[in-house]
Amino acid sequence: MNVSYHEPATWQEAHALLERHGDDATVLAGGTAFTLLLRQGLIRPGHVVALRRIAGASAIDADAHGGVSIGALATHTAVQRSDRITAAWPELADAVAKVATVRVRNQATLGGSVAHADPASDAPVMLCALAAQVVVTTADAGSRRVPIEELFVDTFTTTLGPAELIRSIEIPARPAGAAAVYRKYTLRSADDYACVSVGALADLGGGVFGGLRLFLGGVGPTPMRARSVERALAGTRVDARAIADAAALARDDVDPQSDTRGSAAYKREMARVWTERALRALAGMPIS
Amino acid sequence: MKLAHVSTIAAPIERVWVVVMDVPRAAACVPGVAAVTPLGPDRFQGSLLVQIGPVRLVLDGEIAVIARDDGAHTASLRADAKDSRLGGTVRATMEIALSERAGGCELRIASDVQIGGRIGEFGQPVIQRKADSLLAQFARCLAERAA
Repeated sequence: MNVSYHEPATWQEAHALLERHGDDATVLAGGTAFTLLLRQGLIRPGHVVALRRIAGASAIDADAHGGVSIGALATHTAVQRSDRITAAWPELADAVAKVATVRVRNQATLGGSVAHADPASDAPVMLCALAAQVVVTTADAGSRRVPIEELFVDTFTTTLGPAELIRSIEIPARPAGAAAVYRKYTLRSADDYACVSVGALADLGGGVFGGLRLFLGGVGPTPMRARSVERALAGTRVDARAIADAAALARDDVDPQSDTRGSAAYKREMARVWTERALRALAGMPIS
Repeated sequence: MKLAHVSTIAAPIERVWVVVMDVPRAAACVPGVAAVTPLGPDRFQGSLLVQIGPVRLVLDGEIAVIARDDGAHTASLRADAKDSRLGGTVRATMEIALSERAGGCELRIASDVQIGGRIGEFGQPVIQRKADSLLAQFARCLAERAA
């Protein structure tokens, strides 16, 4: 098998390579998912376009909208340790710290995790809860900002076009009174993919749920938005009974499949349990 | 791997049956199918492109109608295909049954699929979800063609 390995120095060169080689090219970011697919024999690219040499691709900076911009090539460890992230969104640092093992976190990038679109990955679920926007660039030097939940369309499938690249991920400025949380339930070992994970964001000012965004991982083809739970709690006083009743609705907001991490029925029930735990954590209540 | 799919189609059973048993026409309703050509009576050749994230499978093969009962609206099909680039095979038998329902008919497809080689690395949950999605689109397209 002949493979040509490219390390473009600029985004423009990377786009040009992807355009030139079309379906025969695969993008390489941190390489953790790529290596698994290659070793399984599921991909056989003729050209690998590695993004690691592009200057500034892993920068974590303030963005133009008062939030934080995370370069696509920033590793999970870099996000976990970034002063800017831990000051603005420590809950995101907490979520990425739950990914696999330190060796994986040192290598796997945030942009790679989003582009790979594994529905059981941690970062995409939390980024959905935080209403992140993905900055996507195109071969003709254009760019678009996409709400992250709109990028995911199916298992391992996004709306990214063949020569498009994720440049960065932007997280809005933290609103006053915002509370956020990430909870992950692993069934087999601590470093496993989630059986169920929950990312949530809300404004609990005045003891009332406002602006709740709640997403679940591992229980559908994409991060699943628990709209029934969000609707049930909108404008509701923070209360253990209301939380338990709303969390029960999460069962029907998800679309799990039976696999080695549990049957579909078990995952629906765990979606309820872990939604309730995440909401109680958001409200500062102990686990019931 | 056994898969079962049920769809309701808002079109008369006889019209849906005609489309279903016209293999090249029915195959055109499956997203990713390239031209299907006859090899003989009830035997056809064609290819199916399936993309799951970065993985592209091009399944080239044959499909044969091994039994059909136009009165009962049932048929059995056998498909045999391989992806020569990644190295993998798919063999499937499909039992197709149409039955009358208020406002149209119900399509049931019971498949027994054997997957060999690299393609099996995906695991059953991913393959099943993709099959569900393809067959749901197939049923919607049949409804349009038969309407």
